[in-house]
Amino acid sequence: METISILPPELIRMLIAVIIIISFLFLNAIMMGYLERKIAGHVQRRPGPMEVGFHGILQMVVDGVKLLGKELLIPFNVDRTLFRVAPLLSFTPVILPLLVIPFSEKLQARDLSLGLIFIVSMGSVNVMALLVAGWGSNNKYSMFGAMRAVAQSIAFEIPILLSMLAVVLMCNTFSLKEIVGAQQKIWFVVLQPVAFLIYVIAGVAETNRAPFDLPEAESELTAGFHTEYSGMGFSLFFIGEYTNMFIVASVATVLFLGGWHGPNLPYGEYLGVVWFFLKVYFLLFLMIMIRWTYPRVRFDQLLNFAWKYLVPFSFVNILITAVLVKL
Amino acid sequence: MLESDFQKQNRFFLNMGPQHPSTHGVLLIVLEMSGEYVLDPQPVLGFVHRMHEKMAESRPCGGFMPNTARMDYVCALPYNHGYVSLIERKTGIEVPKRAEYIRVITSELNRVASHLLWLGAYLLDLGAFTPILYGFDDREHILDILEDITGSRLTYCYYRFGGVYQDIDDKFVDATRAFIQRLRKRFVIYEKLVTKNIIFIKRTENIGIVSPDMALRYGMTGPNLRGSGIAYDVRKNEPYSVYPEFDFEVPVGAQGDCLDRYMVRIREMEQSLRIIEQALDRLPEGPVRAKVPKNIKLSPGDCNFAVEAARGELSYYLVGDGTSTPYRLKVRVPSYSNLSCLPELGRGILLPDLVSILGSFDLVIPEMDR
Amino acid sequence: MAPETKNFKEDILFHEFNTTETDYNQRGYHLEVALEVNQVRKFAQKAYDEGFYLVFVTGFHVLSEETAEGTTSGLNGVYQFARYDRLYRIKGQVSVPEDMSLPSICDIYQGASWHERETRDLYGINFEGHPNLKPLLLSDEDRDFHPLLKEEKKLKSLEAVSWTPEALESVDADAKAPSSDSIDS
Repeated sequence: METISILPPELIRMLIAVIIIISFLFLNAIMMGYLERKIAGHVQRRPGPMEVGFHGILQMVVDGVKLLGKELLIPFNVDRTLFRVAPLLSFTPVILPLLVIPFSEKLQARDLSLGLIFIVSMGSVNVMALLVAGWGSNNKYSMFGAMRAVAQSIAFEIPILLSMLAVVLMCNTFSLKEIVGAQQKIWFVVLQPVAFLIYVIAGVAETNRAPFDLPEAESELTAGFHTEYSGMGFSLFFIGEYTNMFIVASVATVLFLGGWHGPNLPYGEYLGVVWFFLKVYFLLFLMIMIRWTYPRVRFDQLLNFAWKYLVPFSFVNILITAVLVKL
Repeated sequence: MLESDFQKQNRFFLNMGPQHPSTHGVLLIVLEMSGEYVLDPQPVLGFVHRMHEKMAESRPCGGFMPNTARMDYVCALPYNHGYVSLIERKTGIEVPKRAEYIRVITSELNRVASHLLWLGAYLLDLGAFTPILYGFDDREHILDILEDITGSRLTYCYYRFGGVYQDIDDKFVDATRAFIQRLRKRFVIYEKLVTKNIIFIKRTENIGIVSPDMALRYGMTGPNLRGSGIAYDVRKNEPYSVYPEFDFEVPVGAQGDCLDRYMVRIREMEQSLRIIEQALDRLPEGPVRAKVPKNIKLSPGDCNFAVEAARGELSYYLVGDGTSTPYRLKVRVPSYSNLSCLPELGRGILLPDLVSILGSFDLVIPEMDR
Repeated sequence: MAPETKNFKEDILFHEFNTTETDYNQRGYHLEVALEVNQVRKFAQKAYDEGFYLVFVTGFHVLSEETAEGTTSGLNGVYQFARYDRLYRIKGQVSVPEDMSLPSICDIYQGASWHERETRDLYGINFEGHPNLKPLLLSDEDRDFHPLLKEEKKLKSLEAVSWTPEALESVDADAKAPSSDSIDS
């Protein structure tokens, strides 16, 4: 490629990418926090945050500063190491998948040939954080939250993988860039509507968002796994959750919504990122709307839903896809 | 399934409350659990016990009026109503018709406000965040209307022996009529948002079934009882005030699960609106306060008066001794009896179902603790 | 108002007990049953069999008296029952003997359990046969503190607080003074 000469050497390139991604991650958390509160406000027929800045736009910044200024409470009888490690464990693994996500044709930190597998494996580390947080807190409510998180994560990873597999079968690659490239003419959401639906539902569950927010379930478990956390520990979970949402939505965009493809823009190989972000935030908007509309499902109902409906449907979907691809 | 050896050995206790979000106040429930199964829930009351009954014995009967509103602060006017009616029955005071109409209108408005609050809080227990703000929005209108004539927003002390504190005006009538129109439109929203929601139905149907026999053994009353299919409403069965003059139905459920209790309350709000409408249409002219003696003497002997509060039968039992101070005043509050079935009802269910049941009971903790 | 007092022949249901029919319009219930301690469970069982629900169990405190059987404690247990299907309310009253104990009815009406625990808290009446007579409204430290027991000088005899047809008139007569509000003034 002719642009390779003007790019810095690989290592520096990666470093810059990581810095950009981490700062984006915080920015994303702030934007998502603001969006969530604003959308929630409008869903509930109230204005939402209005005081700090124009229409409360700086509210999340102020909140972030407040959380930074809070004392890090460590209750008695907790496992101090695990208790401190857990927020970091929730925050770190979610940075890595962003490295392989193609934001546009040229904006990708690293195109791994097994990119999809990499994202899935990093995504499953997140549940470790919840387990460690719940276990380390030495609190029965946190423990419930952790147990639920593990069971839920195991149950929903299978339909997620299977729905991804349907797409992989169609384009014969795990590289995210090539998957997007294969959607030049037609998005996979048209060819794989069932897989898309399964992916979105399971994705909401995977990120522990309402109506599947059982590890938190504040009316049952007070706050679930992060009951004992305050200050920055709490906000790292918070950022982890929003980043996780962002990753799930970006993967959905890459796999089903044609990634950076859209009406032509000047410098399309870079500005494709506009279409990418529009699609991602549309999905995130849907997830927020769902959260503020539905009650929470019960735990056994959630698992039944995963094992009895999502998994069989995705298997049938894969079977049909495989047969059709072979033809 | 619950009695396996493994589960017997792996029991533990979980303190739900007194600062738990879904106990709606300072109620502690000590749960003996095995995994997520609740084996034995034992409520612990008394965190906001204020000994209202002792206060009643230590002051003239008029001085107890403000206390009545502080038991069930969510639906205070029926508590006012029961107490003034009790004293009126005891002393034989006749109440002007217009005053009784005003009492019925305001009591029913308060009942609707209470049910709206419950609706939001219950959905919050089930994990839906939005309905509580819709409910509060509507409830705010009622509070505004009531504030104009009663002077307070929550702990009303509006009724007086022999009438009400002040007459209602045209502004009140217009605002109430406008509110009725508004709420009827909002019921459509509630139905779309909540009642037909599949997750909501899955969380409430066949959960916490209270059989009629169980209801009788625990003395349950109010919507919780009517959910079990028994059409017992003090307003119909033991008519007081001017309720016999109005045409309204007593909605009942079929099998007594959480969904039935929910439906009963929703339909009850509609019936309350009907009562208010009829009362406004037929509002008689006249005084709103009878002449009553300055120093009310309670004759020796006992007297009972029951009214239908938002949560069920509220019964005042008074023993007089010839002075103006009650010798004994017993307040029978509905939530107390309603909740007492929890140890039996909550045996062997999941923790989320327990939360659902607690929410469907519409508990007000200060009312139980008194 | 004055709802009509319907007589559904319930009064004969309790014929084995010492019953008095009462004027509903003045007292809010239809039948008063004077109970002996050994009749309490029989009375509750009868009420349960006939389909009554338990409204409340409570007590009240009057001067202790000398009776043929011995000295009473001055405490009275009060039981109120009503019906779901029609308007009929009954009240049972029993004088608590000197050992301060009454039989528990919480195996007949499970709902009585909390009412009995509350009555123990407030009056110190010991309900025999209650499986779990822990303090309910009061805390464990206040186990021996019973707030509704009256001081000696405030106590009145049972007759002084019992209903008589004349009592109402006598109070009415001296309360005809001109009026204003008892709360506002």
